[in-house]
Amino acid sequence: MPKQIYDVIVIGSGAGGGMAIKTLCEAGLKVCCINAGRRLDPAKDFRNHRKPWQMKFRGFGDPAKRSESVGYMDSEWVPGVWEHEIRYTTAPGTEWTWPRCWAVGGKTNFWGRSSARFGDIDFRAASLDGYDVDWPLTYSEIAPYYSRVERMIGVSSSVQNRPSNPDGEYLPPFSFRCLDHILQKGAEKIGVPYLHDRIAQLTVDHAGHPACHYCGACTTGCDTGSFFSTPWRFLPLAEGTKNLELRTDALAKNILVDENGIANGVAYLDRKTKQEVEVYGRAVIVAATNVETARIWLNSKSRHWPAGIANSSGQLGRNLCDHLYGESAYGYLPQLLGQPSFPDSVGDNTIVWMPRWQNLKDPHEEKFIRGYSVYPGGGCGEYPWYATRAEGFGSSYKREVKRRYPTPVSFTIQAPTLRMDSNFVDIDPEVKDAYGIPCARIHFQWDENALKMWEHSKQVCADLLRAAGGEVEGSGDSPNVPGWSLHDTGTCRMGHDPKKFVTNAFGQAHEVPNLYACDASVFLNCTDKTTTISIMAFTLRSCEHLLEKFRRGDLKRA
Amino acid sequence: MAAQDLQRREMLRIMATAAAASKFPGFAKWAFICAHDASPVERVRPESYQPLFFSPSEYAMVERLTELIIPSDTTPGAKEAGVAEFVDFMVAHDTEQQYPMRLGISWLNAHCERLLGKTFMALSEAQQLSVLQPLAYKSKYREGEEDGRKFFSATKELTVVGFYTTEIGYKEIDNPALKFYAKSPACPHTNDPEHKHLPPPKW
Repeated sequence: MPKQIYDVIVIGSGAGGGMAIKTLCEAGLKVCCINAGRRLDPAKDFRNHRKPWQMKFRGFGDPAKRSESVGYMDSEWVPGVWEHEIRYTTAPGTEWTWPRCWAVGGKTNFWGRSSARFGDIDFRAASLDGYDVDWPLTYSEIAPYYSRVERMIGVSSSVQNRPSNPDGEYLPPFSFRCLDHILQKGAEKIGVPYLHDRIAQLTVDHAGHPACHYCGACTTGCDTGSFFSTPWRFLPLAEGTKNLELRTDALAKNILVDENGIANGVAYLDRKTKQEVEVYGRAVIVAATNVETARIWLNSKSRHWPAGIANSSGQLGRNLCDHLYGESAYGYLPQLLGQPSFPDSVGDNTIVWMPRWQNLKDPHEEKFIRGYSVYPGGGCGEYPWYATRAEGFGSSYKREVKRRYPTPVSFTIQAPTLRMDSNFVDIDPEVKDAYGIPCARIHFQWDENALKMWEHSKQVCADLLRAAGGEVEGSGDSPNVPGWSLHDTGTCRMGHDPKKFVTNAFGQAHEVPNLYACDASVFLNCTDKTTTISIMAFTLRSCEHLLEKFRRGDLKRA
Repeated sequence: MAAQDLQRREMLRIMATAAAASKFPGFAKWAFICAHDASPVERVRPESYQPLFFSPSEYAMVERLTELIIPSDTTPGAKEAGVAEFVDFMVAHDTEQQYPMRLGISWLNAHCERLLGKTFMALSEAQQLSVLQPLAYKSKYREGEEDGRKFFSATKELTVVGFYTTEIGYKEIDNPALKFYAKSPACPHTNDPEHKHLPPPKW
């Protein structure tokens, strides 16, 4: 029996992989998607409408398993969907906390949904401030792809006329809550923006899915598909074409190459049988996330590629950037003391943001270059946080908890790191995972520029809160541990020069024309915006580039 | 993403998980700790509860403490919400908490005997309050009671978490997560953006 050959093999099914399988299958190509985890069943795996008292440990999980937790979302609401088996390592001195969802759809199942476009201020940042290099494309080249993605997935926001934060095609925005009106007044007084976030969550019915029902439990999965995720949106479209074969529990090991060093397949470990399996294709798209894509490529060593596939530049795995997250300020709004509760948490708080306002007119007006954004939040959450802070006990305490319930606010910074030689991913020479695959090893420190933004944000957010009539109670002692944002970028950066960049402006490996990276690994840095919608827009563009190769006959159909 | 950081942070501190997990923005749920048990458990309160960890006399004290911390007054409290059962259940599953809790209970009894000549449960309510207040209010702190303060604060945290994660606790603060909303809930005071002229506090 002749071996089966697919047109394209796609590794991963998150934002990039999901867009790839949809686009390629709809264009008629035969696609095999390899996904490292299982398929989730929203009815069984998402318990998002369950209340704490309906959970064995009230949602906290078994204390005995605490040490195994990868953190926050790894909860009783979505048990067993976060990766525990496959290790990664960190270099001495590096802290990196990295919750990975490898179920079908990846993190799109549970993502934060903030969906701002990158703009020319990001693509041309190097020309403006002299640090690093520009992206190999301009905003006008990618803007139409953003529009198409926004129409596909549905993004709610308002038109804001800020070139640094380009407007897209939006559904009606979420409504401001009491705390937003109050904080916006404070922002106005100190001269910083306080606007609707761009949020990929439906305020009206869209793409066959109902509008949000405002339950506030988005990050444990949506039972109505009211925010974009691959399993709800793109997977059914891809499967509907009958052109997709989805292989689950298939842990990609390395890219296979032919006698010329060109990609011709993927080797993976079947996690159920523990057997290594090879699957063949005319082209390979790797959408495994920034670090994992680097791991797969670095582990793809052969006669042609002694340092990893398409890595003659030596840049594969380098240039790791991440978002610095931290709580710049927290406090409360006395105006709301004793007021009736209000559903503040309905959008899981991704309702507003303070898009970058620093270094817009002059790239050097601050003590740091580039800029950061801030996400304000607060109000009546699922838990009255003041209960654990208020002194005392008894009836007066109980009343005080109730009085304070609508009042808390907090500000979270999202600041990009700069590309540094010392921040990168390589392969651990010693450690292998449970399947014998050498592990990714992370080398990473916050850079001075990002830490200056962190300090700056603490001042501004405290000023804003005071200007709004609020009481400042403190700020985070330090930023979060790196990796936490899940917005890391840069291991397969795109650029024109094959000596300096792994991929070209289409995410195509310079040296292996039928190999593409379709995730945040191709981004030059992480900007002040989140990565997901950009991954989708860039992937759409990469896929059409690949389709054109099939159309022109550069690549032969299988 | 955005911020529900405070509550997450507080909850994490309570549950003593990794400090690293404490600040990730964007999640209204406060649950962070993995649970690989896929079977949903709807806990039905039995007629009479058999403590899993505490001895009957220890459990009676825990019960009393939870009822003093969140009393039943104009609204239901820890008693109606079955908070003592939660405390026992969590401590039974948390080996790190077991010794300190047991030690704290003996400390409190010995402390009461020293001060008032009786164990905690034999005291009148006024006496119980007089013992607990110096453990709970900074202005009333007394030297040499550090162990007692630690124990009280651990008990209070378990009580408070146990209370506000029940339906009774949700109703106590009128938690908006008890309902769904047909459209994006909007601030009803748009003519007063600074919220300077709100009706007087409801409570």
